[in-house]
Amino acid sequence: MAPIPKECDYLVIGGGSGGLASGRRASGMYGKKVIAIESKRLGGTCVNVGCVPKKVTWNAAAIAESIHDSKAYGFSVEHTAPFNWSYFKQKRDAYVKRLNGIYEKNLQNDKVEYIHGRASIKSKHEVEVTLDNGDKQLIKATNILIAVGGHPTKPEDKIEGASLGTDSDGFFDIETQPKKVAIIGAGYIAVEFAGMFHALGTETHLFIRHETFLRTFDPMVQEKVVAEYERQGIIIHKNSSQSKVVDLGDGVKQIHYKDSKGEGTLDIDSIIWAIGRSPETEGLGLEKIGIKTDEKGHIIVDKYQNTNVDNVFALGDVVNQGFELTPVAIAAGRRLSDRLFGGKKDAHLEYENIPSVVFAHPEVGSIGLTEPAARKKYGDSIKVYQASFTAMYYAMMEQEDKGPTAYKIVCEGPNERVVGLHILGIGSAEMLQGFGVAIKMGATKADFDKCVAIHPTSAEELVTMK
Amino acid sequence: MAPPPTSAPKPTPPSYTHDYIVIGGGSGGSSAARRASSWYHSKTVLIENGPSGGCCVNVGCVPKRITFNAALIREMLNHGKNYGYDIPDGISMDFKHFKSLRDKAVERNSKAYDRNWEREGIEVVRGTARFTGREKEVEVVMEDGSGRRLFRARHILIATGGYPVMPSDVLAAKHGITSDGFFDIEVLPRTIAVVGAGYIAVEMAGILNALGVVVHMFIRGKTFLRKFDPMVQDTLTKRYEDIGVIIHKDFAGFEKVERLDTPEMEEGGVSAKHESRGTPPSPSKRLRLKAKNGETFDVDEILWAIGRVPEVKDLDLVSIGVKTTKTGHIAVDEFQNTSVNGIYAIGDVTGQYELTPVAIAAGRKLGNRLFGPPELKSDKLEYANIPTVVFSHPPVGTIGLTEPEAEEKYGKEKLKVYHTKFPAMFYDVFSAEDKVKHPTEFKIICAGPEEKVVGLHILGDGVDEMLQGLGVAMKMGATKKDFDSCVAIHPTSAEEIVTMK
Repeated sequence: MAPIPKECDYLVIGGGSGGLASGRRASGMYGKKVIAIESKRLGGTCVNVGCVPKKVTWNAAAIAESIHDSKAYGFSVEHTAPFNWSYFKQKRDAYVKRLNGIYEKNLQNDKVEYIHGRASIKSKHEVEVTLDNGDKQLIKATNILIAVGGHPTKPEDKIEGASLGTDSDGFFDIETQPKKVAIIGAGYIAVEFAGMFHALGTETHLFIRHETFLRTFDPMVQEKVVAEYERQGIIIHKNSSQSKVVDLGDGVKQIHYKDSKGEGTLDIDSIIWAIGRSPETEGLGLEKIGIKTDEKGHIIVDKYQNTNVDNVFALGDVVNQGFELTPVAIAAGRRLSDRLFGGKKDAHLEYENIPSVVFAHPEVGSIGLTEPAARKKYGDSIKVYQASFTAMYYAMMEQEDKGPTAYKIVCEGPNERVVGLHILGIGSAEMLQGFGVAIKMGATKADFDKCVAIHPTSAEELVTMK
Repeated sequence: MAPPPTSAPKPTPPSYTHDYIVIGGGSGGSSAARRASSWYHSKTVLIENGPSGGCCVNVGCVPKRITFNAALIREMLNHGKNYGYDIPDGISMDFKHFKSLRDKAVERNSKAYDRNWEREGIEVVRGTARFTGREKEVEVVMEDGSGRRLFRARHILIATGGYPVMPSDVLAAKHGITSDGFFDIEVLPRTIAVVGAGYIAVEMAGILNALGVVVHMFIRGKTFLRKFDPMVQDTLTKRYEDIGVIIHKDFAGFEKVERLDTPEMEEGGVSAKHESRGTPPSPSKRLRLKAKNGETFDVDEILWAIGRVPEVKDLDLVSIGVKTTKTGHIAVDEFQNTSVNGIYAIGDVTGQYELTPVAIAAGRKLGNRLFGPPELKSDKLEYANIPTVVFSHPPVGTIGLTEPEAEEKYGKEKLKVYHTKFPAMFYDVFSAEDKVKHPTEFKIICAGPEEKVVGLHILGDGVDEMLQGLGVAMKMGATKKDFDSCVAIHPTSAEEIVTMK
């Protein structure tokens, strides 16, 4: 017998960072009846195939770098066996599973009803969920939140044999460490993977369409990180395109490509397409209620997370605001619940001065405008401060083993208000948060300089720039 | 702030040899001299009787940090097996080789000071300075034996720093070393006693422990870092015990030190020989420590980290009437003026916030005030909300008031304290028992209805780079709401600071 229809105040479609944050607040803080629907695993991309396992792998890669660096410091580590990828993967998987369990417990603690299944919108107040056993569950909801996130885009239609490669989701399923990997893409995901693979000892080829990667980042970042990757030995194929992938058998694939050096083929055991992400809206039924999307399929929302249908809201990777980041989805989700259920009529997230970090090697941190964007917006009234140096950590190494640290502060106006901050180098990931707070408070260059430096650190260079 | 546009330097009055005499070429003195000379074209002489760069470069911040980095790497090697690296347990370290590289780095830094002084037109005099008793005058006993030289200037800055002391009430304490001697070590001792509870003792104990030395700490109370917030004291003291440091608490003190490997040196209980600065302690060194309560400890080395005193004994301050405080530091006001017109003091010799960046900032502000344009006539350093980091294991960052200090200043009812403790994600692949040994802990102390942040205390991996930006925000008057208004950066430890409940 089909399950009886359910009713709720707030139906959250998507159990990832954004959806759960909003749902838990609506229920736990404001006492609303909330139902959350998830078709795969709780925690969404972040917990299962994103931030979390990415950072754990990055930590593993950091240890590899320490082992490499330890020789310069006088440690003798000649006899280490190579990295045990499958042992490591087991540990990483176990941690992710623990988090899935914690997320489920959190939902229970906040009295959010959790249904596992795939949702489809029927009307502005009705959603049908296909359960694991095939049954259909109808839910009537006063308010609906679409927080379904996205998935990696596959190039299957355009490149023959593309399915012989995998994507970021598949990266986390790899059981044995590849000897050689080809990563196609120039965004942060491709760059992070390339850095990690290389540090862990895999011969790494990175295929990018132009001369640099991270092309939405400040030119200083693009230039220095590309140079650093090449210094480390990552093979970057610039101005490249791929025509096809051929299966040579025994797990070996062959990529046919063109790059700045001409045409070539590469025999490789692993291929990762990191060419973009697309919203997870297939089968969701947006067209049933006329939800407007942009040309890439992202749901169009205003800063209050309103769609064009009055009781339907959207946030996170599925929307057109950019900033596809877990904390952005969480902050947007909580403020949405504050606005809808907590009486805070104007609650919304400011989509400006949002700090983020790329876990490349080295780490890259960024907030606000790039220098070109600032010049475009403010013209001649901008002032740029820049510092490049070698962190003290490298004092023991030979010149060819030293990595870069570089900082750029972009200021505008007579008060030199900081409108952009770009940092790269050891320690940048933990460094940026505090500066983010200061910049959101409207910090000027003088504010930066007023704080006494902390010595010896890399961060002190940010408050002593000339 | 930028240097003023170039203009012709004013001539020095005929009775003066210079416009500015700076005694001490460490962090403070160097910055003061360089600001005066390169920005304001003051004719400056800098007097130094030791290596250029002072404590920071030679026996402080710089070699400390380099050795701390080595300890961090060692810890990473230890952690490796949790991630699937087959790293053997007993990895050896060629410490002598490491020290030689560290010495080279120190030398490079020290030479950079010389280059900067030369480039900026500062006259450098190598010798020991003292006041003659005549106004505006300093005499230098030249290091090269060429005799004495006199210098006269309207403005004289004392930036002679300080040095670590050994206890006066412990027989043959000189068999041991201080932090200066720590940097002479070529072969790591197998066991060491570290006496002291301040940040230097804690940093050195942590580094040595990480490098595989058996460390015994001797502290007078139940926790170390007793000027820090109780959260830091409690968590870090326990953490050190968890990672193998043996802490002898409520320790009444040592009575004497005996040298066991070369007993023939003893004469009537007082040693005839001890290592001097610059000489590495002998690898065969063996000491017997006798505590006041009769207990004995046999160790390879004892490190006294019981405090530092100002370097004033050669200056003859009495002759010119410069007043000192109860602790012997030079007394200064908020503008770095001493009790004598025209004589100033900055840095460790004044006993205020003994930190390189503080000395640097104070030196520069003083230069602005004495030699700069009219609008900087009252320039001074604000000695409030100065962030500092202790390079312990893990590091500790602090700025502003401790919780007891905040309670005293504002009253407990006006405070709201936020606190969180968790193991960083790095440790999530460790066993449950191991995980709890690696805490990250943050405390935000807020005062008043708007919850202004008046104290911030952070402990954990990465806090050394985390604190600077938070310091900027706090100096701008940040409230808890300001902290929370910044979107978190994920996954980091820092994000916990902007999402505290």
